[in-house]
Amino acid sequence: MGKSVIFNHLTGLHQHIGNWPGKTVERAEGTLHFKGYTIDVVDLPGIYSLSAFSLEELISREYIAVENPDLVINVVDASVLERNLFFTLQLMELETPVVVALNLMDMAKKKGIEIDHEKLSEILGVPVVPTVATSRVGIYELMQTSVDVIKKGVGKPAKIEYGEEVETRIRKLSEVVDKLQVPYPSRWVAIKLLEGDEEIEGKIRRLDPKIVSAAGKFAKEIERIHGHSCSTVMTSERYDIAGRIAREVQRIVPPTKLPARERLHALTTHKVLGYPIMGLVILSVLFGIFSFGDYTSQLLGGFFECCYSVYEGLFGTGVWAALVWGGVIEGLIAGVSIALPYLVPFYLALYFLEDSGYLSRIAFLMDNFMHKIGLHGKAFIPVMLGFGCNVPACLGCRIMETERERFLATFVVTLVPCAATSVIILGLVGAYVGLEWALLLYVVDLVIVFALGRVAFRMLPGESTGLIMEMHDYEMPHLRTVGKQTWFRVREFVMMAFPLIVLGSFVIKVIDVLGLLGPIADVLSPVTVVWLGLPAITGITLIFGVLRKELTLLTLLALFEAEFGTTGFANVPGFGPVQMIVFTLVAMLYIPCVATIAALVKEQGWRRALFITVFEIGFAILIGGIAYRILLLTGM
Amino acid sequence: MSELRPGETGVIVSIEALTTRHGHHGRRGWGFRRRLEDMGLTPGTRVMIVKSAPFHGPIEVYVRGSRLAIGRGMADRVLVSVED
Repeated sequence: MGKSVIFNHLTGLHQHIGNWPGKTVERAEGTLHFKGYTIDVVDLPGIYSLSAFSLEELISREYIAVENPDLVINVVDASVLERNLFFTLQLMELETPVVVALNLMDMAKKKGIEIDHEKLSEILGVPVVPTVATSRVGIYELMQTSVDVIKKGVGKPAKIEYGEEVETRIRKLSEVVDKLQVPYPSRWVAIKLLEGDEEIEGKIRRLDPKIVSAAGKFAKEIERIHGHSCSTVMTSERYDIAGRIAREVQRIVPPTKLPARERLHALTTHKVLGYPIMGLVILSVLFGIFSFGDYTSQLLGGFFECCYSVYEGLFGTGVWAALVWGGVIEGLIAGVSIALPYLVPFYLALYFLEDSGYLSRIAFLMDNFMHKIGLHGKAFIPVMLGFGCNVPACLGCRIMETERERFLATFVVTLVPCAATSVIILGLVGAYVGLEWALLLYVVDLVIVFALGRVAFRMLPGESTGLIMEMHDYEMPHLRTVGKQTWFRVREFVMMAFPLIVLGSFVIKVIDVLGLLGPIADVLSPVTVVWLGLPAITGITLIFGVLRKELTLLTLLALFEAEFGTTGFANVPGFGPVQMIVFTLVAMLYIPCVATIAALVKEQGWRRALFITVFEIGFAILIGGIAYRILLLTGM
Repeated sequence: MSELRPGETGVIVSIEALTTRHGHHGRRGWGFRRRLEDMGLTPGTRVMIVKSAPFHGPIEVYVRGSRLAIGRGMADRVLVSVED
């Protein structure tokens, strides 16, 4: 808590957001200029432990051990001292210089917790700076202390002593580990080997397998003494130390009156009232995002139309001019009218809800429901967002903890019908076949999301993780941090996705200009005409739909008009209700739009993005063909 | 732990093994236990049940001065002895 606020105070506007190499975990980096020093600040993931459970934990400890930073600033929630000290102790075991930022001192005070930070510093043997990050209290002192530590170094931090039977075995192991060439401290390696840390075991086994088997033997001995597994014993002891220190430095006088944030928590997690409140919050967020997005994208649309008239006046309507406009500029427009109007309010809302603590309450309420498709409560948020736009929904999947869950959630999200898909469903089937058929399509889509989610959940290797999360006290988010978090992420998305979107629209425009659309439609006709029973020109529109899904409908309208002189979809020869339903079904399920693919590439990498895309095209065709035959049987 | 009623406290005795899909107690099955322990649910720890979400949802427990939400499936495997 407060880590991102402190990071933003330290780095200001000098930030760069990216991913850890080859990982789907975000990496934020920035520069601090302080008293003539230029300090590179890296925002490590927010974690509770340094075991190898999650990617975040692995990344953090690898970074600390291998990159060997001059200093680690450990942001501690003063209102939950014991749990946070458990992590501080592990950082100290990694033998890295640590400065503790004892944050949320105001919150602690409100909960009646008083902390003697000087005594804490004395016990831990590391500097402790009390802070209230949201109001910038203690930030200067934190910078000063950090620079002092980097310049002069610190005294040795206190050693965390386990029980005697554990200590003797750690000593024996670290003596032999000492002789190996590893980037980690020997004592830490010994501790991790006793805990049965698979990642460290693997690394040591390659150097000297005897050490690993000796550690296994020691761990069994400890297990016999205590009746619990060795890792349980060590975690327990570490927590006991953290608890002892916490009790020694804090005095708690619980407030007599239940604070407002406690009552708000009780209300928002209430077994009855919690749900309508959640519905209201989500609906107003979605409504806010989409009315803002709609309004601004229309404004932008009008603006770009003006631009086009000017452009036409200047460059005419020749092939090259059309290629540049249709291929490059229209790609940019597509990007701008998705990225700015929808992503900006989305990120603002997401970070506001996350930083305030409400996101964890939603996860609490929806956990059971999401378990049915192998995900847990947190995944509900990106899935909800998917109904608006798949792009922010894909980006939002990073709130899941493990790589497996991230992939699963992303996969599910790309199947959710977005606003543009709804345009097709309502504009074609809803308007020309009947609203009940449009609703049926939504139901079919949800059933498919559910079924595929379950199948993917069973097929993907790895165990499904249940929900374990801390529900922080509600807090007013730091708006400047929310704003900065939004700004840097939108900027990063623009830099990553725009080239891809422009490239995609350029390729399609080139195909168009070369007059290849007709031949391609012919090539696709075994699928479109024979298998799906659709007119051949739908092949062309489905290609345009890659840019933006609602384009499938608009280009289809234009093509019918050109061919049959019809306006609207009524009375188009060879395009009756059955074709409308099949076409919509395919448009709904096939390839995510190019902006979503860009988001997929960014979050999951090329291979998985390609896999999801190819799978969904194949799946859409399969379902479309089956639906065609079923509809024929019903005699429509 | 999931059988405790809201307001009741208990002391954690142990965490049961997770049977994996293939029916054996592979080491992978222990990932969830590590995680529970890392979050402070070690044997001997006192926990208080605050409430449980409806439809067999997660439970809210108060442990080590903080509030945790724990999925029902995981909470089922945490054995506690009830305190009066």
